[in-house]
Amino acid sequence: MRKTLAVWLSAIGLLCSAGTVAAHHGFAAEFDRSKTLKLTGTITKFEWTNPHAWLYIDVKNDDGIVTNWAFEMSSPNVLYRKGWTRTSLKPGDGVTIEAFRARDGSYNANAQAITMTSTGEKLLAPQDPQGGPK
Amino acid sequence: MAFLRSTARQIRMQNLPAVLVLILATSGAAQAQWVNATYPGTPRTPDGKPDLSGPVPKTPEGKPDLSGVWHTESFRWVQNLPGEGVDVPMVPSAAALYKQRLKTMGEHNPQLYCLPHSVPDAMLVADFPFKIIQTRRETVVIFEEFNQYRQIFTDGRTLSKDPNPAWFGFSTGKWEGDTFVVEVGGFKEGSWLDNVGHPRTEQLHITERYRRLNFGSMDLDVTINDPGAYVKPWNAPTIHFKLIPEGELIEHLCENNRDIEHENFFEDKQSTDRK
Repeated sequence: MRKTLAVWLSAIGLLCSAGTVAAHHGFAAEFDRSKTLKLTGTITKFEWTNPHAWLYIDVKNDDGIVTNWAFEMSSPNVLYRKGWTRTSLKPGDGVTIEAFRARDGSYNANAQAITMTSTGEKLLAPQDPQGGPK
Repeated sequence: MAFLRSTARQIRMQNLPAVLVLILATSGAAQAQWVNATYPGTPRTPDGKPDLSGPVPKTPEGKPDLSGVWHTESFRWVQNLPGEGVDVPMVPSAAALYKQRLKTMGEHNPQLYCLPHSVPDAMLVADFPFKIIQTRRETVVIFEEFNQYRQIFTDGRTLSKDPNPAWFGFSTGKWEGDTFVVEVGGFKEGSWLDNVGHPRTEQLHITERYRRLNFGSMDLDVTINDPGAYVKPWNAPTIHFKLIPEGELIEHLCENNRDIEHENFFEDKQSTDRK
């Protein structure tokens, strides 16, 4: 499945240079580009919902405290066109996510890149740097 | 009807195993066909790929046919329609509103509340293609984002002098040579021209000029004439569209903005109890 996904992502390439950053209308108000995150954890939930899909992961810090982070992704239709399905990510999968954190200080962020722990496969390309609000 | 019911029953009773096998065998292909549809009449290169530099398709009347699934390859127009190089002097009320929207970084962008885009921004969200269906009497535009549509009438009707304001306004089109010229008025107030928040009022009148350059490319020039917001009409930089020759629209809805269920962007509290 993941191999198929990788082929889709590299072969289609049609819309891959343009990402969720600018497609998300309130991005600048919600997320802070200067607050970049790179977190590794285990998926607890993948919600294939409109207007955006959401991915939740448990992240354990050095003190052993677990925090559940939520990552906003693109819309299901945009992800589907890129080869994703609602079962592309499953609870229990290990992932490393690069993201922009929410301005409100909550454990929300906007996912920019997802790397599967088991295979090293990168599922989301970094977003178009020209796409964001000025 | 009786025949259909009878036939369906025969299929169910006699060929159920075969039908199931067929469905299972083709389900993967069906998904691929939905995302990567092929269309008859698509010009192709010797290696079989769509020839995007091929000729402009023509209607039986000899006009360019704009039909197809299109998108922009850049967010720059939906982000900031005039861009940096176009002077758009505003009346004081619009200038104050624009300043406030810049200051709050688009916090109250209508789409954050599941409200629609409009003309021309509904066509400019690069990730969300739109489909043009051109007929003799009207040209229909279907937008993937929010499953919305727009009708451009080419049957000779004129815009109403006192329209009931509408999010997408009212559009009439005519051909000037190979350019499809569309006049749009009757807009409802509430939409923004772009994500940074260039204002618009009910006085807005838009002129669009579409030119299909070849099989895979189409340009659009937009004139914004809104005396309620701007001291003079202005032209946006030419917008470039690319055809998606083997693609289809995919449903997208706002679903009461379910993002809000997960976010606290609109409230002042931490989210710690989501599991």
